[in-house]
Amino acid sequence: MQLKLSHLASFILGVALVAIAARAHAQVVELDTSHGIYYEAPLKTHMFVYSPSLTLTANPSDSVSVYGGWEADVVSGASVSAKAGPAYQATHPTADVVTTASVNDFRNVGKGGFSIKHDNVTFGGGGLYSTENDYHSVSFNVTARTELFEHNTGLQLDYAHNFDDVCDLVQNPNALPVAHLALPSSKGCFTSDPTRMQHDISIDSFQGGWSQAWTPTFQMEAIYTLQILHGFQSDPYRSVYVGEGLKAQEFTPLDRMRHAIALRGNWYIRGFKGAVRVGLRGYRDSWNIWSGEAELEIEKYFGASFRAAINGRFYKQTGAIFWSDDYSGGNPPLGPKGSYFTGDRELSPFFSVMGGLKLTYQVAATEKKVLGFMTGLRLVAAANVMDFSYDEYTLGGQPITGALAYLLNLGLNAGF
Amino acid sequence: MKKIALVIVLLLTGCVTVRPQERAVLADPVMQFEGDPLVAAQLHHAIDNREGSFGGSGVAGGGCGCN
Repeated sequence: MQLKLSHLASFILGVALVAIAARAHAQVVELDTSHGIYYEAPLKTHMFVYSPSLTLTANPSDSVSVYGGWEADVVSGASVSAKAGPAYQATHPTADVVTTASVNDFRNVGKGGFSIKHDNVTFGGGGLYSTENDYHSVSFNVTARTELFEHNTGLQLDYAHNFDDVCDLVQNPNALPVAHLALPSSKGCFTSDPTRMQHDISIDSFQGGWSQAWTPTFQMEAIYTLQILHGFQSDPYRSVYVGEGLKAQEFTPLDRMRHAIALRGNWYIRGFKGAVRVGLRGYRDSWNIWSGEAELEIEKYFGASFRAAINGRFYKQTGAIFWSDDYSGGNPPLGPKGSYFTGDRELSPFFSVMGGLKLTYQVAATEKKVLGFMTGLRLVAAANVMDFSYDEYTLGGQPITGALAYLLNLGLNAGF
Repeated sequence: MKKIALVIVLLLTGCVTVRPQERAVLADPVMQFEGDPLVAAQLHHAIDNREGSFGGSGVAGGGCGCN
């Protein structure tokens, strides 16, 4: 399970060589690279994530496609190391601590896969290996897709399994969860350090999709996703104040089952020379989080190659059944909620609003290649702002509303 | 159960709604659900790590990246 980074590099190099070797027979070799930035500051965390990715795809024959790639997350910032709510905060004003250097991580992902198409049926498979200072992941995925009724109907099934490991502090085996200590840092993780241990996490993900062209200008898709997780799912670094002078590492259930249903529609408006996209998604899991999401995107051509889009998204969720902003007490909705405790704002009730702009330049070679050597080129730039408003989550005893996050994405796709 | 199967069969057999020569617009890049898959995947990854929900856009992925 603990492959070294050199194995990852060898794997990517191998896939790249296969792709390059296939170039001689290929109709198309495709290069895809994207770069994303995520930044948020109002929650005192100054979290900055830079996410580059590179994928190379080759088609050795009309029916076979192979790809290999790499992606990463370069993370720097701070996170809440010990969470206290307003009741505890009132008598302990310094209890909420935002550490200043707790998060500096580098997530590396190597991936590769293939797809084979025969008539209207496509089969595919792939693998992925990911490392972080405190988290390792190995996964594989398979997919099958068929198109029916003169390509008007598409049916797709996907399955993925993750074999993940997360680092933790070695705990006293006889201690109750309220006596567990948080992991102070990732130093020593995945080494022989006797103070560190690993927890297994198993993730099974299933997805079924149906796409349908209803008219020459309208199509839709419906997707159902089921995910089953088993293993340690807490943030190992975070403590929660659960009583007077008593803080303990987050303690969440080992099992979680998640369901999502999404429905999307694309409608092309000829007079407008553009399309309107609408998306709805509903979600529920066994931790009793319910959420709903609505998306709208309007994209319009300006000339033959350039298009611009504006998008908006509204999202709202309930909190996990065991989530509380203060487990030490206080008036409802504060107070303990059963056996579990967490300080994750992602498990709290909140809503978010996102708005953004996307610009795309896309050309395909006709008689002459693009810039003399490409069969196609696509450039994408997208910028989004998210506004989070938490119903109950507090930090430093203060409610968090209007917390902004900024997302910037750049993409380049070139065919040769 | 038979009624559900019948409805599905009727829906699918009635699905030849667009003839091949009418598919030009549907094949246009602006009509693809994930216009730029890598950029879309990055955006989903960032959003998924800030919310309690998941799904509806793909199942393959690895690592936490959830700080």
